[in-house]
Amino acid sequence: MTDQNWSILIPEIFLFIWALFIFGLDLGIKRKNPKILGYSAMAGLTITGILLAIFNGGILFKGMFQSDQLAIFFKVIFIGSAFMAVGSSFDIASEKIRHHRGEYYGLILFSTVGMMFLSSASELITLYIGMELTTIPLYVLAAFYKDDKLSVEAGLKYLIVGAFSSAILLYGLSLLYGLTGTTDIVTMKINLSLVFLSYGKIGPGLILAMIMVIAGIGFKLALVPFHMWAPDVYQGAPTPITAFLSVGSKAAGVVAFARIFVNGLIAFASDVMKPLDWGIIVAILAAAAMILGNITALRQRNIKRMLAYSSIAQIGYVMVGMVAASELGIASVGYYMFIYLFANMGAFTIATIFNDKTGSDGIISYSGLSKTSPIFAAYMSIFLLSLAGIPPLGGFAAKYLVFAAGIQAGYTWLVIVALLTSVVSLYYYANIIKTMYFSAEEPTIKIHPSFPANLVLLISVIGIILFGIFPGPILDWALESAKIFAF
Amino acid sequence: MVPMPHYLILSALLFAIGAAGVILSRNLLIMFMSIEVMLNAANLAIITFSRFLNVMDGHVFVFLVMAIAAAEAAVGLAMIITIFRNRGTIDADKFNLMKW
Amino acid sequence: MELAIFYISAIVAAGGALMMILQRNPVASVLYLILSLVALAVLFVQLSALFVGSLLIIVYAGAILVLFLFVIMLLNLRGEKFTSEKPILDKGTKITLVVLFFMELVILIKQMAFPQRMDSLMTQASPDFGGVEPVATLLYTKYLYPFELTSILLLVAIVGAVIMAKRDKNEEEGER
Repeated sequence: MTDQNWSILIPEIFLFIWALFIFGLDLGIKRKNPKILGYSAMAGLTITGILLAIFNGGILFKGMFQSDQLAIFFKVIFIGSAFMAVGSSFDIASEKIRHHRGEYYGLILFSTVGMMFLSSASELITLYIGMELTTIPLYVLAAFYKDDKLSVEAGLKYLIVGAFSSAILLYGLSLLYGLTGTTDIVTMKINLSLVFLSYGKIGPGLILAMIMVIAGIGFKLALVPFHMWAPDVYQGAPTPITAFLSVGSKAAGVVAFARIFVNGLIAFASDVMKPLDWGIIVAILAAAAMILGNITALRQRNIKRMLAYSSIAQIGYVMVGMVAASELGIASVGYYMFIYLFANMGAFTIATIFNDKTGSDGIISYSGLSKTSPIFAAYMSIFLLSLAGIPPLGGFAAKYLVFAAGIQAGYTWLVIVALLTSVVSLYYYANIIKTMYFSAEEPTIKIHPSFPANLVLLISVIGIILFGIFPGPILDWALESAKIFAF
Repeated sequence: MVPMPHYLILSALLFAIGAAGVILSRNLLIMFMSIEVMLNAANLAIITFSRFLNVMDGHVFVFLVMAIAAAEAAVGLAMIITIFRNRGTIDADKFNLMKW
Repeated sequence: MELAIFYISAIVAAGGALMMILQRNPVASVLYLILSLVALAVLFVQLSALFVGSLLIIVYAGAILVLFLFVIMLLNLRGEKFTSEKPILDKGTKITLVVLFFMELVILIKQMAFPQRMDSLMTQASPDFGGVEPVATLLYTKYLYPFELTSILLLVAIVGAVIMAKRDKNEEEGER
């Protein structure tokens, strides 16, 4: 045990202690100055990011904790989404959350810690616990406006669906454990190949295990047909939490999916292995997600519901890269999530600020925004166009990479579906832009975001434009992170 | 001696009953209890595999799952209390301010 | 003999779970669930999982379900009426779906291939298999890390449950 490099745990431990510190700070300042809490949460996340850059690369606890490039890449996404969620919470923290500000920020940090542990887990038990550690704080956060009926209802629905899906996931994991006799994902891979080589078949038990794990993680990802909770929860939850759910929690699901399927069950991702080919199952689900998400988003009147359906569709695009199960595929998934972080967090931040100002989430109330708050409207347009995948914004490069990976892996039909549905998606994204710029109604609302919210918006816009024009650095990093899987 | 598929089929039966409870029941508390049944069905499967593989790793898994189930139940029951205060009912069909 | 114990426990476990979801009175549901879990604990012991089996009774029946009972009493839920509106899918369809699901599970499990062809009979376990000491040794050596993670999880659950269940003071009082 002496040769182990314990320092790679420092970022997680630091963030955990910092969350406890925020609970204490809330008591210490006696709720006089709520901004201090938010700033200290942001500072804690920044320091964690710096610590992550210093202490990384290594394996602890016999491979249960892996601080590899994939984990680091996704940890940056988690920290980024938590940072932006905290940054856009300042207004609601001074108004709607009077009683539990410290706990609000602390639980966001706890959930981030859970995601970080999850992304490092290469063993089923740790993975399951990491998943729970990610979602349990989110149940509470979704219901954080305790007097608001919608918010409590959202929290409850999320809790029931989340607990149900985690039970399904656990059953799937137990079958995987039974089939392979191990909980370690790498050993699992070896044992499965041994069984396969000795008997020439594995039997349908593995299909059952895979379907259950796909269903369990699919609920977290809001992948069709496990998406029905998402619009309600997204609409009812506090908007910064919705943003965090749609980016952080989804990225956590994506990395868990990659660990189990692309690492452990990689051997079953080809046509030869039919009917054990998980690629085709996930490809069908991804196609369903893109079609259903985009078409339902067309007729939404509430911006949070619209963004919910759009994020259901977005996860379909991510899964196109995942089913490719190649180095380019995983790299494109990473890059997509990175850009999605900026675009979606930005769009939700604007929805938060707008709701604070007007109390409305209706798309129609955005009409004429460009006349009173031109910068604000421009920001929103950039986020939406990036989500739609218009060059030269980041979303275009992300979609391009995902599609390239899909075609390379032979999923041409899936890429055609994806292309057609992106055209559909352009309609409802452009509809909001049209409402903001070309509405005849006289605008009355003028918006002044707080400094942290402005910072979040600025970071998002710069991220989208910069990494859209120069995708090189992020893409190289994502390719590096994809190398940890032996393809 | 009891053959292994017996245990697994019982576990599948419990899992199906639990899933049925979540889908059919309207009482939030019974929905939660059904989720506990589902978790225990998975626990039974893990213990069975553990016994027949002759390794004890599964026991640790079940131990930790119980702790997680306790955590989930605590948060869930607190949420039920909140929603009962908020709405005065725990009928799942009444929570339809937003369409599912 | 062992087969008889298995069948009795299995019937009690499944029957208890079934009765639990069919009850209208939540207190009766909790009691049926406890019955089901005790039968499950018997099966755990039969599978030489002595420690985990006793934990199932102590932790589940003793703590978690008492928490359920406590909430039922707190909210005074005994005779709650539930709406009788027509749901989208009627009960018959749902039950058929669940039965189909169960049949599928059984068929797939029957054909499962396992490593070392362990699908026949269990081997003789070592005397201390599943006892407190070997499980604890594993827990504190090989699985120390998930064990510690669970402690974080429990802390989070405590914080979350307190926030959710706490009755907030009025606006003016809260600011003080």
